[in-house]
Amino acid sequence: MLTKDESPLTKGYQPVVWNFKLLEHDMLGGFGGMGEGMSVQIAPDGRRIIWLAHESAPKNFTAVDVSDPRKPKVVCQTDLPHANMRSNSLETTGNIMAVAYQTSKKDSKPAGFELFDISKPENPKSISFFDCSGPHSRGVHQLWFCDGEFVHCASGSRDFVPTNPNDDQFYRCVDVRNPSKPIEIGRWWMPGTRQGDNVMPPPRHPIDKGYRAHNTNVYPQRGDRCYLAYIDGGMFVLDISDKANPKKISQWTNSPPYTGFMHTVVPLFGRGLMLVTDESTENNAKDWPKLIWILDARQETNLVPIATCPMPDHRVYAQAGRFGAHNIHENVPLPTAWQSDQIVLGTFFNGGLRAYDISNPYQPKEVGIFMPPAPPGAPTGTIQINDVFVDERAIVYAVDRHVGGLYILEMDF
Amino acid sequence: MLDLFPSREAGPFGRRIKRERGARIPVTVVTGFLGAGKTTLIRRFLASPDGQGTAVILNEFGAVGIDDALMRESAEQTILLGNGCICCVTRSDLQLALRALVIDRERGAVPNFARVVIETSGLADPAPILQTFSTDRALGGEFHIDVMLAMVDAINGEATLKSAAEARKQVILADRLVISKSDLAGAADLDALRDRLQKLNPRASIDIAIAGALDPERFVAPATTERSGFVAEAEHSDGIVSFVLERQQPVEWAAFHRAMETLIALRGPELLRVKGILNVTGCRGPVVVQYVQHLAHPPVELQSWPDQNRDSRVVFITRQLGEAQIRDLFAAVEALAKDGAREI
Repeated sequence: MLTKDESPLTKGYQPVVWNFKLLEHDMLGGFGGMGEGMSVQIAPDGRRIIWLAHESAPKNFTAVDVSDPRKPKVVCQTDLPHANMRSNSLETTGNIMAVAYQTSKKDSKPAGFELFDISKPENPKSISFFDCSGPHSRGVHQLWFCDGEFVHCASGSRDFVPTNPNDDQFYRCVDVRNPSKPIEIGRWWMPGTRQGDNVMPPPRHPIDKGYRAHNTNVYPQRGDRCYLAYIDGGMFVLDISDKANPKKISQWTNSPPYTGFMHTVVPLFGRGLMLVTDESTENNAKDWPKLIWILDARQETNLVPIATCPMPDHRVYAQAGRFGAHNIHENVPLPTAWQSDQIVLGTFFNGGLRAYDISNPYQPKEVGIFMPPAPPGAPTGTIQINDVFVDERAIVYAVDRHVGGLYILEMDF
Repeated sequence: MLDLFPSREAGPFGRRIKRERGARIPVTVVTGFLGAGKTTLIRRFLASPDGQGTAVILNEFGAVGIDDALMRESAEQTILLGNGCICCVTRSDLQLALRALVIDRERGAVPNFARVVIETSGLADPAPILQTFSTDRALGGEFHIDVMLAMVDAINGEATLKSAAEARKQVILADRLVISKSDLAGAADLDALRDRLQKLNPRASIDIAIAGALDPERFVAPATTERSGFVAEAEHSDGIVSFVLERQQPVEWAAFHRAMETLIALRGPELLRVKGILNVTGCRGPVVVQYVQHLAHPPVELQSWPDQNRDSRVVFITRQLGEAQIRDLFAAVEALAKDGAREI
């Protein structure tokens, strides 16, 4: 086992850049604590704008002109109504943006999501607000909005009373075809998590993060499917051919013996594969291992894990901050998003951004690392890379969770 | 695997990669005869910003590792191989050393290094080093020789080339030649040496080391990026010839592969180095091929061509194996393929 003196982190944190080229780093005006909403818009005037959700108050979202990735320019940065909430997640389709609002406490406002007209990126205009507040709800943690018609989100609701207070957010599908009047058209929750269900509530995990929805990905290649990560409940494939009545097709979980918090599910259509990520939520790698899993999904009713993306020795990274998987580039089905079924780009907090070649899915191979130095003022003393997005030019955008803002990179492998 | 989980992005040779080395760790091999200035060249590189994060492997022919002591202060990690040449007794040591580097890096025991520099002993035959990196089973899966440099001393180089077959072979197999101590030589002698080197290896560019140093870019730039000069050549030295096989029309991979397999089976030991880019039917980018004697690197398809030229170009460096024989073999195999024989 490595001693403390041998750890790269305790030796003063040695940055590692391997097969990534840093084009530019933007601290976003000192508000560089970024969440897990990243979306690229081509504005009506032709500028390429990346919209970024903030991890926590005081900022809501930031828009950065990345037409020239070497010269990013913040064009808009907005404030939240109050400090006891966060936006965390956003998506854009054309010139409409959906932003998730989650409050710190239940029965607070604004809890839900807001739609904006972003035709003029400097001046986003609110179109409507979809209220999800309630005595048992914190609102929306994450949303998916890629077709301009439906927002799929992880949300609480006024009429939803969970069997355990941690299980407050579930899958909701909201029709926004008339963006000024969003209407819920369907929902699904894991049986046992709502009072009145006719099954027993699920057993709690030692690190109880809740049986609740996280990512709610829907792709046009299979518009009748929702790939739903459900935190401590693992993940589900839902049949949403009838959006008013989603049905479970299959479930896969790694926990126990793993420590829960499943975050993202990305199907690789054509290859019969599925990528599933955990999220590390505990400092000092206490919830190790948090991994990117590769599933053989040729038979969607029988998902078979076949590999995980290799990671370095966690002991080296256990000194400060989080270490482990979080999100991956999700092949968002928009023309502004890079599409790949051979390269996986994942974020690992103090493990940085890592790229894997999964040409042979049984043997994923690490092909790139971007682990920059701790940004000034980093509370953990390390980088905490939180999310990643790749545009169709193959320009990579990675964000730090606390202070570091935006890193713009080129893949070099 | 590819059959079970086919990818629309993949070509016949798997994922299309940006450059030949893909994600593998780049290696610069520095050869050159005793006293040619290899250690100085490497030390100067290590002192440059480009030299950050370099692990050095030294192979000294002698019991006392003097170069090791000189190098240790500037490299991320220095490994001294035992007494003997990399090419013979310590070739397995090289493999072990490189494997140990990767393992130590994975477990955090050595800092992350981005590049490896190997300094060979003056007497080393570079061919076995090339072989070591040829296949996945050896080190080819993790490391890739981006460039093999041969240093030649401007004062003693000519005499060394005359007297030592190993020195000639180092020059012949190099990707790039570096003349050292040029300030000590007369212009006429320098021109003569250049001329001699160019004849031995017309593919390689020739750089002059200034005060023992080379532009760091020239120290690391992959050799493939500058191979505009696929120059045919016929100077015989120790029975070694080099020439270029070119094709204007796209190449059928099955025919090329079968021709090379036949060549390797019949005359493998005589193929000192074969390297080139092919315009393969059905591929978007060029396919890079490389062979060292009987070993073949796994072919890789690049994402794009380096320039407008779409011709296939393969350099052969062979010993006791004539250009005509190889041309005839390829012509015969290609003719069979053209005749519609699917199983050649």
